Amino acid sequence: MTVGGGAGGAPSAIDPKKLRIYGLGGALVGIYLAAILNSVLGTDIFSILAAAGAVAAAVMGANAVRRVCGYGIGTGVPSIGMLALGMGIVGASFGLSTAEQLGVSMAGVIIALIYAMVFGYIVGAIANKVMGFNIPIMEEGLTDLSGAGAMAIIGWSYAISGSLAYADMVAKVFNTGYLAIVFICGGLAILHPFNANLGPDEKQDRTLVDGLMVGSLAVVAVGLCSLATLSTIAAIITIIVGVAAWYYFYVWYYRLVKRDAAAVVGTGLLPPSAL
Amino acid sequence: MDALSMGLVAAMGALATVAGASEDIESDVGSQSNPNSQVQLAAQVGNPHRIYNKAISGEPPANALWATTAAVVAYTLITKFAMPALFAIAIGASVAALFNGVFSTSAYFGRNASQRRFNQWIYLDIVRYTTTSIMAHAWITAFCITCIAYIQTQLLTPHHPFPMPVIALIWGLTVGAIGSSVGDIHYGGEREFQWRLFGQGLNTMLSGQIVRKAEAGLRNSIDNAWFCTKLGGPLTGLGFGLTVFLDNWRTTVFDPVTQAGLAIGMGLLFVILMNLYNFYVETSIRKKYGPYPGYKGDIAA
Repeated sequence: MTVGGGAGGAPSAIDPKKLRIYGLGGALVGIYLAAILNSVLGTDIFSILAAAGAVAAAVMGANAVRRVCGYGIGTGVPSIGMLALGMGIVGASFGLSTAEQLGVSMAGVIIALIYAMVFGYIVGAIANKVMGFNIPIMEEGLTDLSGAGAMAIIGWSYAISGSLAYADMVAKVFNTGYLAIVFICGGLAILHPFNANLGPDEKQDRTLVDGLMVGSLAVVAVGLCSLATLSTIAAIITIIVGVAAWYYFYVWYYRLVKRDAAAVVGTGLLPPSAL
Repeated sequence: MDALSMGLVAAMGALATVAGASEDIESDVGSQSNPNSQVQLAAQVGNPHRIYNKAISGEPPANALWATTAAVVAYTLITKFAMPALFAIAIGASVAALFNGVFSTSAYFGRNASQRRFNQWIYLDIVRYTTTSIMAHAWITAFCITCIAYIQTQLLTPHHPFPMPVIALIWGLTVGAIGSSVGDIHYGGEREFQWRLFGQGLNTMLSGQIVRKAEAGLRNSIDNAWFCTKLGGPLTGLGFGLTVFLDNWRTTVFDPVTQAGLAIGMGLLFVILMNLYNFYVETSIRKKYGPYPGYKGDIAA
């Protein structure tokens, strides 16, 4: 979470390369730290780290949506968020099942990330060259989005399954239907920040803090699901951390809204200029 | 076919009708989906307003989120804690309503803060009384859809092979799509442009020139919900209710395995009959009310 937290505070623009390293690096560190600590200590209480890693990836995805949709795609914001998770789910399933076949289930996350990013680049190239979008950063944006989608799916799925093995993912996340909430909550975490802040006076830090807030809400959702699949203590840790992070980022977001809005009033008529 | 299955299908139809109506009113209270573009444009063409701007996403993903959230919570409580189904679904719908409140308020704050240069203020009294109304409607939608998913996966024979949250996701997407195409026209086409003759279409130069003043004082989103409750909501309910009822009726009356041909044939018959009825409705309306006063003949594209 602290990795993604680097997004906020400063009103100046944050470099997308830096955010990419924070987002994808944070996701990989979170997921692997959770997997290693859980297996070494024989517990499942560290699953929250994978969920926090997924939040970092989702914030990077939200920044990619912001960059691509800044070229005038207004009504396409929800679509591109769904596309990100669609590509991500293909990458995640491919990576985890391939790693299982090869007998190295720990490598699944890296295979998924590489495959998803290549897949995203191809989809971006088709969108630009064949469908004629002509957005200069389309390939780069969709590569980022696909990688963010895959990491979000794996991170939040891990917080439900407590294991990187494909068989456990299928039994605890796919067959129970919990993948549905990972998909839709993950999609909203990537698309909602820019969609909710769309407008000429949109600010990057406000959008990204909104992303952290929605991502934390997704942590709460997967925490509720993990009540059925993990130990009660692990699920409660995920829920409590999610709620605390959500509250912290919501208050931060509201502070940025008050900073940026023309006026925040308790009640009143229209502004004098409009009456 | 047995009497219980037919009763369950009827109950699903009734639940779907309520879900459709509440879904459309929920989106109208917050000006989501298609009418949202005009609410967003209004401030940009010099018309700041006191109307809620709930830009969460299109209605289908948003409603899929509420329905899925309610379903996963209910599913967890039923399978892990053996809680009675109705009680579990009610708790699930409450969690979904809380999620809805977070998304609604963050969208209202964010969109209006991003219109600083157009002097669009953020009114906290609107946030207080409109958000609760939105959340209440989202609760009803999530509750009804989760009930439908529960009936399909646990009670109706044969049980649906998909897990409950996935069914809720699909019905959530469907109710959003139907609400967006059926109910929104009533708000976006009529309520926002009430002073124009009905049926003229929306000229580009009128974009953003929405009605901002009410019979007394300034118009707010609760006034819009009152208007949409008369036609937009019930029609959406009818649309979604018929979709759920007719689709499940044909696979309940005819066995989907041994009488698959008959079930498919009945589905085709429904589609043909509805198309004929749509054609009749459109031609009779054109005959009764057209041509519209502003009509200057077809313009070549």
